[in-house]
Amino acid sequence: MNFLRKIPGILLLAVIGYAGKFTEQSISAYGKAHHTALPNIEYVLWAILFGLLIANTVRLPALFRPGVDTYEFWLKIGIVFLGVRFVVGDVVKLGGVSLLFVAIELAVSIALMTWLGKKFHLTPKLTSLLAIGSSICGVSAIIAAKGAIDAEDEDASYAMAAVLALGAFSLFVFPAIGHALGMNDKMFGMWAGLAVDNTAEATAAGALFSDTAGKFAVLAKTARNATIGFVVLGYAIYWAKQKQAKEIANKGAFLWEKFPKFVLGFLLVSLMATAGVFTKPQATDIANLSRWAFLLTFAGVGLRTDLREMKKQGLRPFVVGAVGELAIAGLTLGMMVAAGPLLGF
Amino acid sequence: MLLQVFMKLSLDWWSVILALAAIALVMAGAMPHIPW
Repeated sequence: MNFLRKIPGILLLAVIGYAGKFTEQSISAYGKAHHTALPNIEYVLWAILFGLLIANTVRLPALFRPGVDTYEFWLKIGIVFLGVRFVVGDVVKLGGVSLLFVAIELAVSIALMTWLGKKFHLTPKLTSLLAIGSSICGVSAIIAAKGAIDAEDEDASYAMAAVLALGAFSLFVFPAIGHALGMNDKMFGMWAGLAVDNTAEATAAGALFSDTAGKFAVLAKTARNATIGFVVLGYAIYWAKQKQAKEIANKGAFLWEKFPKFVLGFLLVSLMATAGVFTKPQATDIANLSRWAFLLTFAGVGLRTDLREMKKQGLRPFVVGAVGELAIAGLTLGMMVAAGPLLGF
Repeated sequence: MLLQVFMKLSLDWWSVILALAAIALVMAGAMPHIPW
């Protein structure tokens, strides 16, 4: 019965996503038929814009909310399918490099966010949530950390609003910067995966640049997501020592519980593809399934971005998040530009 | 017993199960060609 409640929203995701794809194809076909050079605006952007338009004008009716909230579920399914487009060697090499960059990014962003939180007089737990959200993977990390550090609902919603607003902003700014700097697909994808907070927005920012960039954005972001348990555990231990959160009895079980399981699915499918388990047509079909799953996600990104809600949350958490994100984006861009040529990007 | 285990799985696990089930259907030729 619970599933039936989700159907209208899932259908809406499909309709908006397909409308985005249809719009891109129609504009391209019109340009070709009339021998006119029209700007190629990707279906990703159309799907997000249509979603944004609905969410911020007519508002999403309650009937659709349970289904629209499944957009991250489709994202995870899409990531598992995407494994078919990677050989294990690339995953190990680029995933390893990403983890190294992630370690540097985590250290800098946690230190910076903590300092900014103090400067702007945010509550210490809100600062922790913002640091976790901006350093790892946005909303999922904030939800995972909220229970572990006994944070207030209000702090969690402030942190989520800041991360979502900045994610929406990144969607439009990152591809423009990438094109202005003449970045290649691989370098841009890795940068978007390392710097954009939420997995859905990181995937969309990469896909807005190019299909290949989207693929590498997912790889870098997945490496970042894999660290979620360690960072949340670190904060949980810190707050337990302050007597403001419960002790974690079994740290191994905690790490496993927080580990994103779709990463295992992604690795398994990549392993199968490398072992030659799939024929070429099968691999193409699975890669296309990944694109359809992401299409639902991109529609969801627009539909759940309610700019009026974000405005209500106040300016200070947003400013702290924005300053921190800007520094992280600059740092990761510097790392990519410096190390990219050495790594063959 | 098995049903109870399945019912307790997180959405994270379900995303992996459903994706692998779809891949199995593609491999078995039980799913029509998926264009993009």
